[in-house]
Order: sequence, then C-alpha cells, then structure tokens
Amino acid sequence: MALPPPDPQFVLRGTGAAVHTLHFSCGNQEPDVPILFSGSENGFIHVWNLKTHRVDKTLDGHGGSSVYCVETMGGKNRLLSQGRDQRICLWDLAEGRTSVTNSVFTENVGFCRCALLKVAQGRWLMAMAAKAPEEVQVLELPSKTSVCTLKPEVGAKLGMPMCLKLWQHNCDSQPLLLAGYEDGSVVLWNLSMGKALSQLVCHQEPVMSLDFDSEKEKGISGSSEKVLSIWSLNEQQNLQVYKTQKLVNAGISDITIRPDKKILATAGWDHRIRIFGWKKLKPLAVLDYHTATVHCVSFSDHRNPCERLLAAGSKDHRISIWSIYTQT
Amino acid sequence: MAVFDTPQEAFGALRPVCVQLTRAQTMENVARLQAHLAAVSTSALQELQEYVLFPLRFALKVPGPKQERLVQSVVQCISSVLAATCVKKRELLQELFSELCTCLSPPSSSSKPAARSEELKLAVIQALHTLMHSTYGDVILSLYQPSTLPLLGFAVSLLLGLAEQEKAKQIKISALKCLQVLVLQCDCQGHRHLDEDEAQQCGDLFASFLPGISITLSRVITGDIKQGHKPTVSAIRLFYLIVGLVMADTQLARIPKNKEKLPVEQSRISELMVHRGPDWSKSTAEKLSLLLHKMVEFSSVHPHWKVRLELVELVHHLLRNCSQSLVGSFSHLLKALVGLVNDENSEVQSRCNEVLQGIAEQRVVAQNRALADVLSENLHSLATALPRLMNSQDDTGKVSTLSLLLGYLKLLGPKINIVLNSISHLHRLSKALMQVLELDVTDVKIVEDRRWGCESTCGPSGSLQHAMLKGRCQKKYFRFFTEEKVFQLLQQVCRVLGYYGNLYLLVDHFMGLYSESGMYRKQAAMALNELIAGAAGLGVDVLQEREVLPNMDDLKGSIMSILDEYTDQANWYLITSIDTEEIIHEPSVQHSGLSAHPGGTCSSVLLPSAEPHVTTHIMNSNIWQICIQLEGVGCFAAVLGKEFRLLLLSALYPVLEKAGDKTLLISETALGTLVDICEACGYDSVQCLINENSDYLVNGISLNLRQLAHQPHASQVLDTMLRHSDASLLPLVEDVIQDVLSTLDQSYNNQASTFLRVLHSVMTALVRWFGSSCGEEHQQRQTAEWRSRTLSQGQQVVTRQEVEQFFLDYVRQKQIAEGNLPDTGNEEADEIPPLAKPEPNSDTEGETPLPSHAQLAKDVMERCIHLLSDGNLRVRLKVLCTLAQKCGDFLRQRFSKDVLPKLTSSLLSQAPASARAGPVYNHTLAFKLQLAVLEGLGSLCEKLDMGENDLNKVADACLIYLSAKQPTKLQEAAQSVFLHLMHVDPDSTWLLLNEVCCPHQYEPPHISLRPVKLSGMGRQRNEFTDNVLLLLERLKQQESAPPWAGAQEASPP
Repeated sequence: MALPPPDPQFVLRGTGAAVHTLHFSCGNQEPDVPILFSGSENGFIHVWNLKTHRVDKTLDGHGGSSVYCVETMGGKNRLLSQGRDQRICLWDLAEGRTSVTNSVFTENVGFCRCALLKVAQGRWLMAMAAKAPEEVQVLELPSKTSVCTLKPEVGAKLGMPMCLKLWQHNCDSQPLLLAGYEDGSVVLWNLSMGKALSQLVCHQEPVMSLDFDSEKEKGISGSSEKVLSIWSLNEQQNLQVYKTQKLVNAGISDITIRPDKKILATAGWDHRIRIFGWKKLKPLAVLDYHTATVHCVSFSDHRNPCERLLAAGSKDHRISIWSIYTQT
Repeated sequence: MAVFDTPQEAFGALRPVCVQLTRAQTMENVARLQAHLAAVSTSALQELQEYVLFPLRFALKVPGPKQERLVQSVVQCISSVLAATCVKKRELLQELFSELCTCLSPPSSSSKPAARSEELKLAVIQALHTLMHSTYGDVILSLYQPSTLPLLGFAVSLLLGLAEQEKAKQIKISALKCLQVLVLQCDCQGHRHLDEDEAQQCGDLFASFLPGISITLSRVITGDIKQGHKPTVSAIRLFYLIVGLVMADTQLARIPKNKEKLPVEQSRISELMVHRGPDWSKSTAEKLSLLLHKMVEFSSVHPHWKVRLELVELVHHLLRNCSQSLVGSFSHLLKALVGLVNDENSEVQSRCNEVLQGIAEQRVVAQNRALADVLSENLHSLATALPRLMNSQDDTGKVSTLSLLLGYLKLLGPKINIVLNSISHLHRLSKALMQVLELDVTDVKIVEDRRWGCESTCGPSGSLQHAMLKGRCQKKYFRFFTEEKVFQLLQQVCRVLGYYGNLYLLVDHFMGLYSESGMYRKQAAMALNELIAGAAGLGVDVLQEREVLPNMDDLKGSIMSILDEYTDQANWYLITSIDTEEIIHEPSVQHSGLSAHPGGTCSSVLLPSAEPHVTTHIMNSNIWQICIQLEGVGCFAAVLGKEFRLLLLSALYPVLEKAGDKTLLISETALGTLVDICEACGYDSVQCLINENSDYLVNGISLNLRQLAHQPHASQVLDTMLRHSDASLLPLVEDVIQDVLSTLDQSYNNQASTFLRVLHSVMTALVRWFGSSCGEEHQQRQTAEWRSRTLSQGQQVVTRQEVEQFFLDYVRQKQIAEGNLPDTGNEEADEIPPLAKPEPNSDTEGETPLPSHAQLAKDVMERCIHLLSDGNLRVRLKVLCTLAQKCGDFLRQRFSKDVLPKLTSSLLSQAPASARAGPVYNHTLAFKLQLAVLEGLGSLCEKLDMGENDLNKVADACLIYLSAKQPTKLQEAAQSVFLHLMHVDPDSTWLLLNEVCCPHQYEPPHISLRPVKLSGMGRQRNEFTDNVLLLLERLKQQESAPPWAGAQEASPP
C-alpha cells in the first residue's frame, strides 16, 4: 500500500499576501544558509532563511505591485525580479545590501514570467514579453542590449505569450526559446534567426506554464484545462505531441521538472500540488495543504540531496515546504 | 650565658672535672661535668669536644657491670655535648654510634632489650638522635657504606624492637623518630640533600632492612589502638618514607642487570647486600602489597583523624614515587584515598582533595597505563557490586560507595575512555546506574494533582512567577535511597562521565538503554540529561581540566538526536490519566513498551469502567518520564545558550504542549522548562519567548491539526500560547484559529470538547486584549444593579456584548433570509456593531468589515451554537455555562424546565455513592461529573438569575454535598454553589443554612417579640456543621463588606 501523502515539513507564514513566485538559492557552501526567495502580491520579495524558517530580509522594489517572477543570477547575491509595475529589477544583495542596481522597463501588461539563460560567465540572455501584444523580446544582461525580437507571422493569431523557457542543447549550441501562447500553442523559436522553428497546439486554452527537459528533448505544459500536455522535439526540430495526462481538477498554474529530471510538480487551482514521475507521468502523490489556489512550485538546488526541498506558494498567503526527495 | 668563651679558659675549667670522671665513674662526677658544660660557650666546647667526650665514653667502656643510672646520666651528658657541637670525624661518629647502641644491647646473646630501664632506653634513643643531627655532610655518609651495614642493621633492629615491644608511648615514638633519622628521612630542615647516586646507594643498603622494617612497622600500625595515634602516625610515615626510598621508580630504573661484585675482603658483607633487580622488586612489591592492604584496611577506619590523614600522605607519597613498582597495591591505596574524600574530618577531606587534585594535575594516571588499568578494574568491580550495595547499605553507606565510584571516575579523568571503550565495563556501569536511579512510582498524588480547567490558572496577564519556577526541579523519589546527597553524587557521576567521556559513545549507549526497555527509560533519560550537562561542563566538579574542549557542533548534534527521541510520539504522548476526555483521542497514537495502552474507548459512554490495564503506577511512571524529558529540554537549552534558538523550531512546540497538560506536575515542569529556555536563549519572559517564536508554534499547531490524534495537543499549545501572550500575537494566531475552526467543522462529533476549551481561551484572550477599550462604552448601558454584581468581572461584560451583537445579527440575517426585510433607517443603529462605531464609514451603505478580533469572536460563537446540542453531556454543560454567563434570559426558562431537574436528581442520586467511596473514587468519571455539575451550577444559577423555586431545588441538592463524608473536592464545589447562592439570595440561603446548624442564639430585641427558633439551634456537631459554619462566616463577611468586595471573594476558588 502506498504511504499516505506527507505533511509539509514547514509552513512559512508572514508574507501578508498571495505568493506568486518562489526561487531557492541553496547551492552555496556552509556556513551560508540555504535561502528561499518569495515574491508576493503586495510587491514584497521576502528572503527566507531556511535554517531558522524566518524572513531575513524584505525587499521592496516594485512599488506595491505584485511580484511574479524571482530568479537568481549566479548566486544568492544577484537577484532578478519582475513585477506588475512592468519593471524587471536587478538587485545587489551582497554584504547585506538591498539595492536595485539596474532595471528594465518591459512595457508589457501581461503576467508572463521572463526566462533567463546563462550563456557565458557574467552574461545572460533574458526573454520577456514585449510591449507589442504578441512579441517576445530577448535582451542580453547585464548590458540590456537587445538580441532579437520574436514576432509571430502575420495572421498567426497566437495571442499574448504566457510563459517562456530559454534553453540550449549544450553549452556551445544555439540558445532556443520555447514560448506558450494565449491560444494554447507552444512555439519553438530560433533566436539567431528570429524565426519560429515549430509550432504545436497543445491546449484549447491559454498555456499557463511549461517546462522543458533538454536532455530528453521533451517538454510539458499545463493550462486551465483538466489536462497536462507532454510533447517532444524530433530531429528535425519539430514539436510533436507525445502524450496527454488527464487531471482530476482543472487548472494548472505552474509546472516544474525537478533538476534531476525524475519527477515533476504541478501547482493546481484545486489547492493541491501534484507529483508525477517524469518518465511515464505516473501520478505519485497529491500534496494537500493549502486552502487556496497554489501559484507556484519550486525545487531546491541544495548540494546535499537529502536536504533538498519542494516549496509551493499559494493565494492563501502561505508557503509550504515539503521534503519529498527521500520518498521518491 | 657562657662564662668561658675561649677554649683555654674552658679547658681550664673542664679539665679537673674530666680528670675526676676518668678516675671515678660516679653519677656525681657526671653531674659535675654536666654542670660545667653549661658554662662553656659552643665554640669553645667544639674545640674541646673529643676531650670532653673521652671520660664519658670511657665510663661506658669500663668493663664489668654498670649502674644503670650512671649509664643513663653518661648518655645524657654525651647527648648534651653532641647537641652543642658537631661531629667532624668519621671514626668518632662510628665509634659513638656503636657505643651508644651497645648500651642497649643485651649483655649476653639474648635478644631482650627489655632488661634496661625505660629512662635509659629513652636517653640512648635521644643520644642517637642527637648524634645523627650533630653530624654533617660526608661524615654522616661514611656510616652508610656497605662496610657499616652490620652496624646499621644492629641499630635498626634495636630501634625496631623498641618501637614494637615497648609499652611506653614516648619510647615508641622516639624510636620511630630515630629510625626515621637513621634512614636519612628526617622531617627537620638542615639535612644535606642527597644526590642521586648517594640516594641510590642508601637505597641499596636499606633494601636489606626493608623486610624487617616493613613487617615490624605494619605490626605497629595495625597494633592495639590503645597505643594512641602518635606511634601509628609515626610508623605510617616511616613506612612510606622507607618504602618510597627503596622502591622508588627512579632508583629501580637505574639498577644494573647484574649484581656488582664487591672487593673480596667484603664478600661476607656482600652477601648481606640485596640486589634490587626486577625479580626482587616484583616479589617485594607483592609482599608489600599484602602489608599495605592490611594497613590501609586498618587505618582508613582508624578513629583518630591524624592516622587517616597520614594514610592520605602515604598514598600520596607512594603514588608519587612508586607508581610503577607498587602498581599492584594501588587498587587498595586509591580506594582508600578516594574513600577518604568524604571523611568526617574536614582536614582529611581537604588534604585528600588536594592530593587527588595533585595526582590529576601531574597526570599520574594519564601517563601510567597500568595505574589506569588498576583504576578501571576497581571501577568494574565496584560497578558490579553497586546494585547489591545500593540494595543493602543504608544511606550513609551509599554515599560512601558512590563517592568511591565518583572518585575513581575523577581520577581516571580523560582515561575514562579506556573504561568506556570496553563493552562490558560500560555495560556494567550503565546498568548499575539504571538500577540505582530507579524512581519510586507509587505515589498516587502525582497522578491525582490536576490542573482543574483552564480558568483557575488563567491569570489576567498570563504572568508566570518567574522566581518561583526558576531553578526548581520537582523532587524525585527513588526506590533505593532517600538522601538528597546520594542523588547529587549520582548526578556528578553522570556529569563527570559526560565531561571526560566520548560523548557520541555515551549518548549512543544510553539512548540504546532508553529505547531498550521501559524499565530503564526514565533513568536513561536522567543520565542523558546529566551527561550533556557534564559534557558542556555545567555544574561538574572535576580534578583536572580535560584536554579537548567539546566541539559545539558535536554537542548540538547529540542534543538534537536526544531531542528527537524525547519528542518522538511514542515517548512524548504517554497516558497520564484515565480522564476519558484525553483518552478518547489517543488510540491512533502508537505506544510502545511499558506505555502500551489498548485504545478504543467509546466516547459516548458516560461512565466507562476505569481502564483496567493502566495502573496508577504506570501513569505515575509516565508522568515522571515526561517530566524528566522536559527537564532535559531545559538542560539542553542551558547547555547551548543562544544556539538553542535554532532548535526552538522543533523543541518549543512539544514543551508548550506539555505546559497545557492537565497533570499538575507536568504542566509545572513544562513551565519551568520554558523559563529555563527563556534564560538560556536570552528572552526577557515567557511571553517574549512565545511571541517571538509564535511563527514556529503556529506552524506546529497548524500541521498537527491535520492529524486527528494530535488535535488535542495542538489545541493545548494554542491554549497555552493564548494564555501567556498578548495582542501582538493576533495576526499570526488569527490564521491558526481559522484552522482550528475549520478542523472543528470537520469533527464536531468527537473533538468538540477539546476545542471548546481553546475557543474559550480564544474568547478570554480576545476580551483581555481588546476588552478594556470597548468595555467602558458598554458599561454605561448597564443597570446599576448588574454593575454592582459583576463589576469585578468586566471582561465578561464585553463578551456578552459581542454575543448580544451576534444574536442581533443572526436574527436580522434570519429575517432577511425569510424575506422579511427590516426597515433600514430604524435598524441601522442596532445593526452596526458597536465595536465598529468609531470607523468613519460605519453609516455608509454596505458591509463594514469587523475588526479582526471581533470577526474572530463571531466565528467562534457561530460554532458554539451547534455545540449546544452536542451529544456529550460535558460539552453541553460547558457550553451552557459559557452561554448562560453571556445571555441569561435567553436560557433561563429552558434551563429550569429541562436541565435543572435532571442535574439535581443526578446529584441527589449520586450523593450516597460518593459519600461511601474511598480515595480511588476521585478518578472515576462519576466523580468528575458530580464535580463538573457542582462547579458549574452555582455560577449558572447566578448568571441565569434563577427564580426562588429553582434555587431551592439547587440548594437542596447541594446541601448533602456539604457533608464531611463527601470527597473534599465535592465539598469545596458545593461550598462554591452556596457562595453563589448567597449572592443571588443571601437571606434565604442564610435561613437554609441555619436550619441545618445554627451557631448563635438570637435574642429578640424586645421581649414582646417571640424568641427566634431555628431548627438548627442547639444541634450536636454533625457531618454538616463545619461546612455550614464556614459558609455562614463568609456570608457574614459579605454582608458587612462592600458589595463588590463580596463578589470578588465569592468567585469560585
């Protein structure tokens, strides 16, 4: 008989608003403590100390507008945050600083999270939804020089980009972008040519979230429907449907494949977090704790596997921390 | 006052007397010489030394029998000459030495020196003593050559003979002193220090005498106690000095493999000489060991403390000089030394401690593996015998046994690990500790003492008497001893182990014992607590500092693993009472071992038979286990200090859980632990501790609420939090109260009564935190009469208001639901919650959000209505009391019609049973039910403002509980009912009580009035008398005091 689903290891309270995004930074050596960044609806970014389970710092850089994306750039001291104030801020947190060193005005009114990819030491590519409704713009950071703007063909009617994922086969190859659109399709873009390589209609509703496994060249996307769509990339760089996975309740707000590519977690509108095996999409667990929509799920990057965690942020203002590595 | 300063003058003066003495050896002549000597200066006498000595020596050498008195005076005279001069010639020394000895030698070959008078013996001994002191440097060493061995031997045996066989104490002591000088170990200053080679040579010589000396001395030492302590002391000193010289490790180490060949002419003497080779030293050590054993046994219990003190010196000296050669004896020696640490004489004690300290500081044990082995052997055998000794000895015996154990451990110091690394040693030692530390779990009171309800302890500010709880630790009762000192020693034993021992090994081993069997669990936990304290160096008394300081991380690691084990479900949630309310929820918790408890009690049964499997002993034991574990948490906090803050994440919640426990001992211990934690982590108060860590607690509560079995605990924690905290907690608590409410919504059936308590605390806390601000406004609306009654309970007034608000709200909602829309304009004033009045937009259209605390109160109240119809009587009663307190009118009618008759009849029918019952009855459910009804009834009557008829019913039913035959608690509860009744209707209560018993005669104020006749007048003292008189007294006080004072007093005890 299967074990009953575990309880959260801990619940972080005190954000004071719905939590929209989470990002771990645990990769540093001792005595640095593992950290979790959370961005919430009231515009604050909280820096959680995962040893004491308390807020170490609170960052306020988006003028009270919801923060819906937080990423680190090569360590816990350089942070990128994106808010509904249409700004992407770059933070310097070293030696206790809390200053915004740089910012990008996106002029986009949607809530598409930007995507980051490290291309060389100290050089990053960032894809973000641009001012024009259907466009995606790719910038190089920290210089903020525009690399390309990805415009769908005229009449494609993709709608707004909803979610982005930058990736490359290996360090030397071309960076590629996967973008999920409002009409339910996922498009693979070649950045250097600024051209769509392939397009696949995965959902009937807007794609809410997607994640991609560059090793297996396989990706997964979720929407407001009762279904997860799994698709793969063939040798001709064409996207094709691999499988669909039915869900009990409709609505997925976030999907994350664990860094070891063994399992994935989904954040559901049904207040639940679901864990699947990545290989066959076998449902493994339903984590039930939250009392409102779960907005985001994130896996930690801790060096020590048994200290790795899963975090989920929800509309109920709470962040639940789960230890599921040992069980799977 | 020398008259003759120059040798010439002196010679002139002395010559005649010397000549005369040479001619005629008479006592008069000797005396004359003696008299003249006094007038000669020291320097002059030195010049004339040999001249003066000549006639005296001549007098001794004259052949033929001599008068003893004469010999004595001659010897004394020689003594006085020697005392003033020094011997500078080797020949003179040897001749004098032999001549003096001869004085005591038997005339024939018989070995009886006893033929001489005691005075003579003393004189000779003193002369020898003086001789040895008047000789210096190389001259005296000439006496210690192989060639003089026979002469020395003669002197030694002579003196030994005197020391052993003489009756006179003075002679014994002098002989021993003299011997001491003879073996060059004089106590006085001014002797030349022997260099290494000289000492070695003397050692070689004395080795020949060692058997004789040691055997004789041991006989002296173990001889008749009547000889007094001085000879014994001297003998002990001489013994260790000579043994310490001959058996000195440094000397033995330098002994060549083969015996040196002496020149041929000394071959006879060479035979007498001993070669101190390995074989010799081994066999000698064995023989000495026997002697030492005998001596130590004898003198360690010698009645005179100086003897025992000298024994300490003996051990000290031998340990310092012969720790290798005499290693076999140290088992006894150390035992004696360690045993004397607790000597009744403080000088012995302190010297003993000094010596131990010295041993430890010089690392004698640490550098001597063999000695460590001896100690660990001793320890092993002691540990083996310990349980038996603890069983058979009295407390004084136990103290000395344990001091011995402690002493061994302290002496071993860092070498303790030798012992610990041996499985069998560790096993023996720990088992012995486990047996000795066994608690006495027969006390029923531990189980009996309960924290009744939360109301009684709910102080207005949740203040804890810091001072009272600090540093206290509930006294434990042990099976095998009562003396506190014994426990302290055991504590020290554990701490010393923790101080020196390998912490991982120890913690691992004792954790093994902890989980091995319920038998050892409490003891192992106690030991673990002390081990950790010791490892951190807290309250541990040691002889030497350890070499390696404990690593904080290691310590923390150990503490964390112990904490995990302590707070594990199986060890933390134990059955401590047969209260159904608590048991009901337990079944899903798995208990192991001793605490196993078959679950499955049915909650709907009102009076289940007492659990047959859980005896009070088991419960008592469980209570102690929890307390010990709680103490452990406090101790760990003290050890880690501020570092412990990190562990609060997991440790605080369980402690708070226990702070809300119903068993008095547990909750008090837990509160004490909280105080300890505060202190260790640097929080100002328990309130600070709770406030600053409320996030951890809330997390724990929220997660535990998810599991049915843990819900009662979670609610206890919340309860405790609320009681000890303030309004700043609200935002966090709000979150979790919503969790509680939603959990309650899912489990009205079986969890209601647990949650009810929390809800009550929530409301009380809300009132406490926010009550005062809105209380004033409301009070203005109260009638004067009501105010006079409840002024002291201003808190409740506000809640009442909230309830009122709620019901108004409710009625309005209902009307709206029924399509009966009220006239807005008119209702507006009522509709708006008074609490929200200050808000500027309160009169605008739309829902005004209530302040969060009011919203919370409303949510709670909504749940309460459902509970009124709960299946469980206790729940109903609780709700009823609470509601009655808040909205009396609403309930009075139904109460008097439906509820009261049942309650009174139940009280009446149960009364005979409880009057008959024994002490065990207090643990039955029937009792608790009676108690609950009695405790609730009074305030219910008061709050409901009941009619006279009903009040009479209540009074009648409760009267029988004033009987002295009833259990005390019931009597007290019944008293409280009457105290309440006094407030409602003092006159009729007075009358009723006087009907039972009337202490006074009431004289009518005027003769025309008929005398007052009350049926209670003039009655014999009966079962009701005491309680009734007490109540009447209270009534009198109440009547004479201002109304509010009376109200305060009358609140239930």
